[in-house]
Parts: sequence; C-alpha cells; structure tokens
Amino acid sequence: MARKMVFIDTSLCTGCKACSVACKAWNDLPAEKTQRISSYQTQADFTPNTWTYVRFREEYKDKKMRFNMLKLQCFHCADPACMKACSSQAIYKTESGYTLIDKDKCIGCGYCAANCPWGVPKIDEAANKAYKCTGCIDRVESGMKPACAQTCQPGAIQFGDYDEIMPQAQARVAELQLTNPKAHLYGNELMGGTTYVYLLQDRPDAYGLPLNPTTPISLTLWKDIVYPLGGIAIGASAAAITCGVIVNLVRGNYANRAKNIAASHDEGGK
Amino acid sequence: MAKEVYRFSAGERFVHWCHGVAFLLLLFTGLGVLVYAFQPAMNVFGGIQVTRNIHRVVAVLFTLGMIIGFIGKGQGARQMRRWFKDVINFRKDDFDHAKNFGIEFFGGHKPFPPQGKFNGGEKLNSMFTILGTLCIVTSGYIMWFASGPSLLLQWAYPIHAACALFMAALLIAHLYLGILHPDSNQALKGIFTGWVPAKFAYEHYEKWYNEEAKETMKG
Repeated sequence: MARKMVFIDTSLCTGCKACSVACKAWNDLPAEKTQRISSYQTQADFTPNTWTYVRFREEYKDKKMRFNMLKLQCFHCADPACMKACSSQAIYKTESGYTLIDKDKCIGCGYCAANCPWGVPKIDEAANKAYKCTGCIDRVESGMKPACAQTCQPGAIQFGDYDEIMPQAQARVAELQLTNPKAHLYGNELMGGTTYVYLLQDRPDAYGLPLNPTTPISLTLWKDIVYPLGGIAIGASAAAITCGVIVNLVRGNYANRAKNIAASHDEGGK
Repeated sequence: MAKEVYRFSAGERFVHWCHGVAFLLLLFTGLGVLVYAFQPAMNVFGGIQVTRNIHRVVAVLFTLGMIIGFIGKGQGARQMRRWFKDVINFRKDDFDHAKNFGIEFFGGHKPFPPQGKFNGGEKLNSMFTILGTLCIVTSGYIMWFASGPSLLLQWAYPIHAACALFMAALLIAHLYLGILHPDSNQALKGIFTGWVPAKFAYEHYEKWYNEEAKETMKG
C-alpha cells in the first residue's frame, strides 16, 4: 500500500471535538467523565479510552483572541523513537507509514512511553499494555478514511496518498502565508517524516508542541552504544577466561597446583 | 590438614552471597526484559510478567542485603566497613600489583609488593562493583517508580543496561579467578567457610598475613 498522509489544517478546525467522538465510536472506546482543563479543553491527556482529543490554547494579541486548537494523536513517525525503545519488538511500521503496537508482544514496560518526544504512547495500567492511536489502520487497509478524518465537518482532516495530499498541504500553506507569514507545516521534516502533518498558524510552542522533537540522546546511547559495547565486554571476558584456562593447562599450572597441595598436606601431617 | 587463616567473617560472606545470588537472578530476569531473544527463557519462572515482578522483589533483597551488611557493631558489619575503606584507598603498592593483572590472569607470575587484606586487583574489582551497584540500584528504582517521560527516566535506561552488562562481564572474570584459576582459586574455600590456606595468604597478602592473619592460624 502506498504511503499515506493525514493533513490536519488547524486554520479550518472549529474545535468541535467530533474527531475524538468518532475515534471512540469506531474503536469501541467508552465515553469518560471529563472536566474543564482550560479554555474549551476537556481532556488533559490521552487515556486508554481516549486516543485523540483537542488541545486549546487561547492567544491574545492586539486585543484580539485566537484559539490555537490542535487535534492530538500519534504522529506515526517514519523513524519512531518508541519503536527504537521497544525491547520486545512489539512496535512496527507498515508500508503505508503507520506505527503500530502488537499487543500480544507488548509487555507493558513503558520504554516507548518514556521516549516518544510527543509523549504519545502510554501504559494502560489495568491491561499492562501500551496503547495509542492506531491511525484506524483497519479502516485504512479496507480503503476507508480514518474515523476522525471521515467525521470532520469543516474538512480540517484530509486523508489520502502522500503524493496526493502533500501538494495540497503545501498549496494551503502558500495561500495562508499571504496573510500570515507564520503559517507552516509541522511534522513532515520531523522524526524521519510523520504521517500526520499539521498546518500551524503560529510557532509550535503556541500549540504546546515541542520546537525540535528528536530521538532522545539517551536512547541512541542505550541502543546503539551500550548494547554493542556491553556485548563486546561480555564476549571479551568470556574469551579471556577460555584463553586463561587453556594457557594455564599448557603451562602445567593445574598439575603443579595439585602437586603443591599434596606437598602442603604432607607438611601439615608432620 | 594444611594450616589455615581466617579471612572472611560470617557477615562478609553473607553480604557476598546476597549480592552474588541476587545479581545472578536479577541478570537473568533483567535480560528477559532487555533482550527479546531471552524472553522465551522466562517461561521457567512462568512468563515475562512473573519475571518482571521477581526482578523487583529480588532488587529489594539485593538492596537490603547490601545495606544491612554495613549496619551495626557486629564483627561482620565492622569488616564490611573496613573492606569499603580499604578498597577505596588505592595506593602505589596496589597499582604495582594490579598492573600485572594480565600476566597473573593467564597463569604467569611477577613479583609484587606485599599486599594488605585486599590486593590491588581485588580493590579494583571491589570499586567497580561498588560503583556499578550504586548506579544500577539508583537507576533501577527510578525506572520502577518514575512516571511519565522525563530526562531522569530516559537516562536511567542506558545507565541500568550499561551497569548490568559490564558487571556481567566483570562477574565472568570473577568466577574464573575464584573457581578456575589454578592459583587464585585457593581463596574459594574462604568465601564458603571463612578460612583460606595460610601459605596462600602469605603469598598473596603478605602484609595482612604478618599484621593480622597469622594470629588466627589453625591446623
């Protein structure tokens, strides 16, 4: 299947949260009791039953207010830190660009949750498994749009082949930049290129997004340096003791040792 | 019977075996989480989830065994504190012993200055073990109790893995010297019974032998 792309145009988003509801409906996730977090935001973070929600930031400038609304879900990176962190080979990529968790392999260790630069995967403590947005891979593989894209009334969530959607996204940015030079795409150049790409109308931090999300250095150190060096250390140690035994045998040290002990026993007996 | 001197008090032996047995269990169960290929082996304990809990329980014993060993006025605790003070005090005589480690390791011999209760090589091994233990315990509890993405947690992972793998490498060499090496394995009895051959003590720890060990001679 060709590489897919989901384009989230924040300039069209009305903050209706229907995406969140549609996600629940398709993925059989029950509604949860919500409370006001700030502005119109009613969901603080992802939960095992909420894989996408809208974050609201109110921005005041020249006595005007603008909602910076952002539908959050997994970015489905091309080069995901969660997958690098996973020690159980439970996270994998699809040809279509999706990043998925194999729940049978997941052991709930939380390495993915600790290393995602956007804090997307989380551990469902009750199930002891990691969870996150699946990108509605089951729908996509059957030729349908993800539930959130299907339901979005203002058309703020566009889904299709990357080659088809990307030019549309770039055209939309060019259009907006005529009046707002801050308009830009967020995601397509991050973490190897994300499947979910945003059009932002301000700096990423105005939406509560990291400016430069990267794979943590500690993760690279762990997987690419500590593992091979640790393996080499163990291998070298095992090789050294094998040589040690052989060299001691050849030198006759074991035979001498036995003789010495016999001698000292004789001595002790006297 | 050959003459013997008293080397390790019951307290020291207790801490050594607490540390050793717990480390082996932690290494085995930890590898199950760390390395995918090891996961099937965790079925001996009833699967990976049981193993993860065993890892935590043993980690507490590992920590407690270490702490308890140093507390109190008993002979064991005094000896543990003395060991700690001795091994972090690394001087020229220790260096002159440790520099020939490679030669001794492969069954050769070079004269070295008279050594105290712990020789230069043992001091290095002890210092690596102390440092590794502190790091692996600290990072382990961070991994256990930290929640949410944080730098502290992210850095705990490589530190925990590095300590585990390098301490495993050290352990392999330690097992060789204690069990398989034709000269130094005379000390093996000491970590079980406390007593080592007097001749061995004289040859390896001349200073300690003359100043302390000689008085405990039996046999």
